[in-house]
Amino acid sequence: MRTLAQVMIPGKGFLLPVVAMGVAFNSGAFAATATGTQTLSVNIGAAGKLAVVQPTLNLIHAGSIFASFTGTVTVQYEVRTTASTGNAVVTVNAASEFSPANGPRVAGGDLTFTCTGATIGSACTGSQIVSTSSQTSVVTVGSGVCTGSNCAGAAPNSVTVNMNLVDSPVFKTGAYSTHLTFSISSI
Amino acid sequence: MNLTRASGRLAMASVLLAGLGAISAFGQPFSANGTTTIAVTVAPEASIAITTVGNTSLTTPGGGLFVDYTGTTTFLYKIRTDKAAGVGHITLQITADFDGTGGPSVTTPPTTGDTLKYSCVVASGTACTGPVTAATSVPTNVATFGTDAHSIKAGDAGSVNWVLTNDPVYKTGSYNATATFTISNT
Repeated sequence: MRTLAQVMIPGKGFLLPVVAMGVAFNSGAFAATATGTQTLSVNIGAAGKLAVVQPTLNLIHAGSIFASFTGTVTVQYEVRTTASTGNAVVTVNAASEFSPANGPRVAGGDLTFTCTGATIGSACTGSQIVSTSSQTSVVTVGSGVCTGSNCAGAAPNSVTVNMNLVDSPVFKTGAYSTHLTFSISSI
Repeated sequence: MNLTRASGRLAMASVLLAGLGAISAFGQPFSANGTTTIAVTVAPEASIAITTVGNTSLTTPGGGLFVDYTGTTTFLYKIRTDKAAGVGHITLQITADFDGTGGPSVTTPPTTGDTLKYSCVVASGTACTGPVTAATSVPTNVATFGTDAHSIKAGDAGSVNWVLTNDPVYKTGSYNATATFTISNT
């Protein structure tokens, strides 16, 4: 049985089998797809930032005569430390002596603080003396720490700094002030 | 939908949210450093503490009969008077006369002229000009302080030296009175 189409060749008297070949053409059938890949890499480094909630703290005198002046500062901080080997620290120092003179003195050890309630890391232990010449630790943070969703602690984290100023009879009466600078560093 | 305009709005919203995240809940910007001003007002103050342990015993010194009784009360005081126009005082008052009967009395001595007197010593300020006759009805001076007066941080030392008439009319026995020291200042 012939399955092929036959074409009568004029004058020849025989059929020339012709294979009908149909090639289906489709618009776009000749478009080739290719893919390429690119690796995106980012190095997430250690970082830290903080904010002091109270721009001014008025120390008040309460209780017995010549009892110390006290007040509380809240420091908020966000921190990321290197896994396994990193750490961070929040520190404080006095930018200058109390002004005017003849009152309390930072250099005399009159201004101290304790730390409580660090939501991540370890708050300072015991009474710490504020210095104008060196940084004093407030909070230390360990390795592999982050701030935010799926991170330990709060967002932002915070620590309470309880300020204490000696009330010495030696101070002349009047108003005095100094400035504290809190800093954060992270590796 | 205009895809260009929509994507622009989305980008702006992202920037706004990022900006809000950089400010603490109390409006202080986050940075590597933060500052606060520590302020304090130092006002006039004064305090006093008796440092004599137990009672002040008035005794007769060795030698001589019916020699007046003597004794010393010591105290520590802290004082800071105003640097512009302050003054301070330490006073004492016999707030409870000698108890019992037949013995000494500040208010009604058995013999006119029987007295309880004292002289004063203070490390700062001006001590009383003694001897001063103690009284039950009014406070009497121990020391005065002027403007911008300061004791040392630990307190300055003071003392009152008592003299009680040794009147033979007193009946034998033990008698106690209370002396109250007061410090005040502005």
